[in-house]
Amino acid sequence: MRAGATVALLALCMAAPARADAVPDFSGIWARTTFGYDLAPSGPGPLKNLARRPNGTSDAFKLVGDYNNPILQPWAAAIVKQHGLISLAGKSYPDLSNECRPLPPPYVLRIAQMQMLQEKDRITILYIQDHQFRQVRLNGTHPAKVVPSWIGDSVGHYEGDTLVIDTVGIRTEPTSLIDMYGTPHTPALHVIERYRLIDAEAAKQEQERSEHEYGRPTTEPVYVDFDYRGKGLQAEFTVEDPGTFTRSWGSSVAYRRSSVREWGEIACAENTADYYAGATATVPTAERPDF
Amino acid sequence: MRGTSTIIGLTLALGALPSDAAQPAAPDFSGVWARLTFGFERPASGQGPIGRYHNQSNVGGNFESPNLTPSAAAIVKQRSEILRSGRDYPNPSLNCWPMVSPYIFRVQEMQMLQKKDEVVFLFMQDHQVRRVRLNSTHPAKVTPSWYGDSVGHYEGDTLVVDTIGARIAREPVLDMYGSPYTDALHVIERYRLVDYEVAKAAQDKNIRDAGPVATEQAASVDEAYQGKGLQIEFTVEDKNVFKKPWSAVVTWRRAGGWVENVCAENAYEYYSGGLTDIPRADRPEF
Repeated sequence: MRAGATVALLALCMAAPARADAVPDFSGIWARTTFGYDLAPSGPGPLKNLARRPNGTSDAFKLVGDYNNPILQPWAAAIVKQHGLISLAGKSYPDLSNECRPLPPPYVLRIAQMQMLQEKDRITILYIQDHQFRQVRLNGTHPAKVVPSWIGDSVGHYEGDTLVIDTVGIRTEPTSLIDMYGTPHTPALHVIERYRLIDAEAAKQEQERSEHEYGRPTTEPVYVDFDYRGKGLQAEFTVEDPGTFTRSWGSSVAYRRSSVREWGEIACAENTADYYAGATATVPTAERPDF
Repeated sequence: MRGTSTIIGLTLALGALPSDAAQPAAPDFSGVWARLTFGFERPASGQGPIGRYHNQSNVGGNFESPNLTPSAAAIVKQRSEILRSGRDYPNPSLNCWPMVSPYIFRVQEMQMLQKKDEVVFLFMQDHQVRRVRLNSTHPAKVTPSWYGDSVGHYEGDTLVVDTIGARIAREPVLDMYGSPYTDALHVIERYRLVDYEVAKAAQDKNIRDAGPVATEQAASVDEAYQGKGLQIEFTVEDKNVFKKPWSAVVTWRRAGGWVENVCAENAYEYYSGGLTDIPRADRPEF
């Protein structure tokens, strides 16, 4: 009996660390149905597209961010307005997504499919677009002096059922942006993401609200497994950048299980620029036209 | 005493619980690995890669290699002539395309994330990701892709990766010598840890044979680290390009760091097919 009690006690003691170390399981491939951030029902939120389709949804081919949104500093509002005019003219302004550059948070949340690889001391997040990935150091701190990079320096930790990721050090370029309207940012950009599993119905409703605003993409398929009844994944995020925004603002996006079990390749970059020579590579040329 | 035995048994049982991080018996390939050259090491015996033309720099591959089929030799020669003219032929490294194996071993830093059912490779250049399904088979009909379809399994201390189904781009490039490839390409890679001395000697010999890289690179080896290195022996089959299979080796040591290394910054607009309205200066800067 004593031995049995000892074993039982030992088993409890050994189980305790396991519970303490237990982290939510975010494995699997996750998919979204829109590119946009969820509009906040109240409080400061992301910009809304002023260009609407006849059915009232955001016009994906005319991207005019609401440059009157009071969260924008005047210089940022001017850039958003300028981008809107370019888009209304049927042209494109520089966009990290279109030009095959790495996307920082929160803009990276626009990518339709992603996968998290959870390890003891780091999280690797794989994104289907242009084989991008991010690595998040768990329980680490940012360096005293961060070397700016396209995706920034990310550290994370678990708070119960939630993974919290803190990102700074996002590189600023003349064409830097953090949303589909070309909203710029400064070196002070600070993004906090909070990932947690949510019920299937909550994920479904959040995605449907997003579709109500943005509509589904017309340029590519939607990869959500609509029959899957398991948990969804929600990423709430907060953006701070006093140089760009008058106050911090937040939003969220919802993922559901992807319909693909093994994702394909979406290679964005096929350019003829010769990286080293700074010239155009010798591409094959036809001696006569194809028509 | 009985209680103690039970406790030991329980401890062993708990210790044997399977983990998603890696199969219990699998070798641990974690960490960041680096190499400092682009070239392959020749195998200990047997057919090796075609190598450089007369072992010279910047003249391309040895198009006179008897292992090349005539059509492949003509392509290697054409690429060599472009290099001799001071220009470059289209290739994945310069043009930011995903790289097929073994060409991808020219990327000088990589990580392996070993999961229960797959191994994910992260390559530093242009943040490339390659996936290998473990204990699986190739589909009956493979959809061609840049990286091809890769399956793998562990054989003791060795990870074996088998790849077919590489996409035939307009300008397929298999290695830094300019060899092309066709839809018959089949690559087998064998990964295993080797002692520090073995890894260092192999890297040093490779630098002596191939010469140091001429331009500054983002990659670095941690010279103070004296733990295991990683060695990949691989075999290439493509009957349309090579008369017989050939093999080579690449050796990695612990890296000194990992940086963002982005290749693609172009003004081509994916959806409209035109050029983006990029910012312009009102006056020249000079």
